[in-house]
Amino acid sequence: MSGVNLSGIVKAYGALQVVHGIDLTVEEKEFVVLVGPSGCGKSTTLRMIAGLEEITAGDLTIDGRRMNRVAPKDRDVAMVFQNYALYPHLNVAENMAFGLRIRKTPKDEIKTTIADVANVLGLTEYLDRRPADLSGGQRQRVAMGRAIVRHPKVFLFDEPLSNLDAKLRTQMRAEIKRLHNRLGVTSVYVTHDQVEAMTLADRIVVMNNGSIEQVGTPMELFNNPANTFVASFLGSPPMNQMKGTLTENGAKVGGVEFKVNGAVNGNAGRDVIVGIRPEHVTLKPSHETSALPIGLDLVEPLGSEALLHARHGDNSLVFKADTEGDIDHLSGVKEVHVPAHVVKLFDAETGRALNLEV
Amino acid sequence: MMKWNLYSRGDKIFAIAVSVLIGMFTIATLYPFIYIAAVSFSSGFAAQAGKVVLTPIDATLDAYGYILKDPQFWISYRNTFIYTIGGTIMSMLFIIPGAYALSRPQLKGRRYFNLFIAFTMWFNAGLIPFFLNMRDLNMLDSMFGIILAFAVNAFNIILLRNFFEAIPQSFEEAARMDGANDFQVLWKVFVPLSKPAIATITLFCIVSRWNGFFWAMVLLQSEEKIPLQVFLRHTISNLSDDDEFSIALGAAGFSAETVTAAIIVCSIIPVLMVYPFIQKYFEKGILLGGVKE
Repeated sequence: MSGVNLSGIVKAYGALQVVHGIDLTVEEKEFVVLVGPSGCGKSTTLRMIAGLEEITAGDLTIDGRRMNRVAPKDRDVAMVFQNYALYPHLNVAENMAFGLRIRKTPKDEIKTTIADVANVLGLTEYLDRRPADLSGGQRQRVAMGRAIVRHPKVFLFDEPLSNLDAKLRTQMRAEIKRLHNRLGVTSVYVTHDQVEAMTLADRIVVMNNGSIEQVGTPMELFNNPANTFVASFLGSPPMNQMKGTLTENGAKVGGVEFKVNGAVNGNAGRDVIVGIRPEHVTLKPSHETSALPIGLDLVEPLGSEALLHARHGDNSLVFKADTEGDIDHLSGVKEVHVPAHVVKLFDAETGRALNLEV
Repeated sequence: MMKWNLYSRGDKIFAIAVSVLIGMFTIATLYPFIYIAAVSFSSGFAAQAGKVVLTPIDATLDAYGYILKDPQFWISYRNTFIYTIGGTIMSMLFIIPGAYALSRPQLKGRRYFNLFIAFTMWFNAGLIPFFLNMRDLNMLDSMFGIILAFAVNAFNIILLRNFFEAIPQSFEEAARMDGANDFQVLWKVFVPLSKPAIATITLFCIVSRWNGFFWAMVLLQSEEKIPLQVFLRHTISNLSDDDEFSIALGAAGFSAETVTAAIIVCSIIPVLMVYPFIQKYFEKGILLGGVKE
């Protein structure tokens, strides 16, 4: 079993602790994405798995073997770096063969492996080129090729797409997903881009300030964020959050009372954060929705849908609405309608999600 | 490059002034070479009379004929080659791994090692302690002593260390993930990436070894071990001290000046020949394309 297990992993630089006791199990063949803002400890965690950073405390096992004091080369993991880290003095084939040569793989085997991987990655015609003669996407593919040729137990990706332009990023994202489906190698992927996390991951690990905020499938995290941080980090635009209080019938923000799913059960009067995903509102009322009056600031057309930037009291809000081919009808929007089942409630003090009894 | 017409008046004046200064500097640097070459091909009388300015007067190869016939010239020439090639190889064998080690953050006590090495750039024991040290190590009048004693140069180590430090850390990390040990990281990644810096330092070493005069004069006694520069010194000294010899030389069509100039020209040629081979490594942007920052 080529899984990765982190148990109570701590990283400290002198007195400064940057990763605070992480527990995480990555199952064999699973694609896990560590996501979080800059400085949250996700790259440090990945580098500890790679062996590029020492582990201050806790246990790391790969394939059931404790790896805390094992050199990177003996962990049987391969890493794709954010800046590619291709050797500029070697051509594509030599770059990919570097690790195999170091490991004294027979020449014929190296040749066959490079040819196979180059074919999979569409690099066959570039094998003689130096990295400087390749485009960003091609370089990234070479970096992946260099990792793949070694047939490691675990792939580690450190923000591999962050240097690419938006179009290429989307393309490469799909290629990585396809490759993972094809190769089925356990993968840990670090990114600060929640779209990458949502699209690539079997499970997402949301990190903040050196700790894990929540682990789950993309849809679990999107639909049931454990706290306001996860709610605001995943989703584009992020979840709208408004201060309110619980009432007997739901939650009240200013003069607006939202219907919610579940029973408030004596919690009335408790301060809460009311969360509403931008895409979960409608412009047409129904008997299950609550109307939220808004002052519309701006309509941003995105094509099939548009972003409505609005205010409600002191709250700046963003909603998504279908354009139906035209945005003129959106400029007159004065209220949005919020179905009861989409309203998320969080404790105002701790930010944790409130699970109301349904 | 911006077109001349788009320059402001001030910029034009500045550009002209810079060009004139560079031109003067170039002439000032080149002229001694041209003068020495011209003297070496001139007759002894013309050289002694100070008639040579830019081109040879009464052109002759007599001075070259004189020195090329001297067996000591060839012995010294061979010695200089040995000191230069052996010394440069020895220096690089110390400097490259030393600079690499000092550039690695994981080296324990790195700060102190750096400090100790830099210290020797400003302060050193001086002539007599160094001489005594060499004597105690049995390296006086020893060719190997000359090669070994000056193998490590603090300035070159620091220069290369700085270059190694500027190489993105991800290259080393990628190599380590690929299975490379320190030795392989150095020779398979850092050295190829540092060709311009290593070429520069190699040239420094070659020139310094080729021109090495003082310590060779102090440490070597045997004529068969002295390098070309010491031979040149002996020749100049002999020719100037011996008036009768000078007169004899003059009668033969060459003089102390032309012989000295001929030896200098002969000693310059190999360094001039090496430079074009090293120059190709002074390429810029070798790191370009490997990483994206």
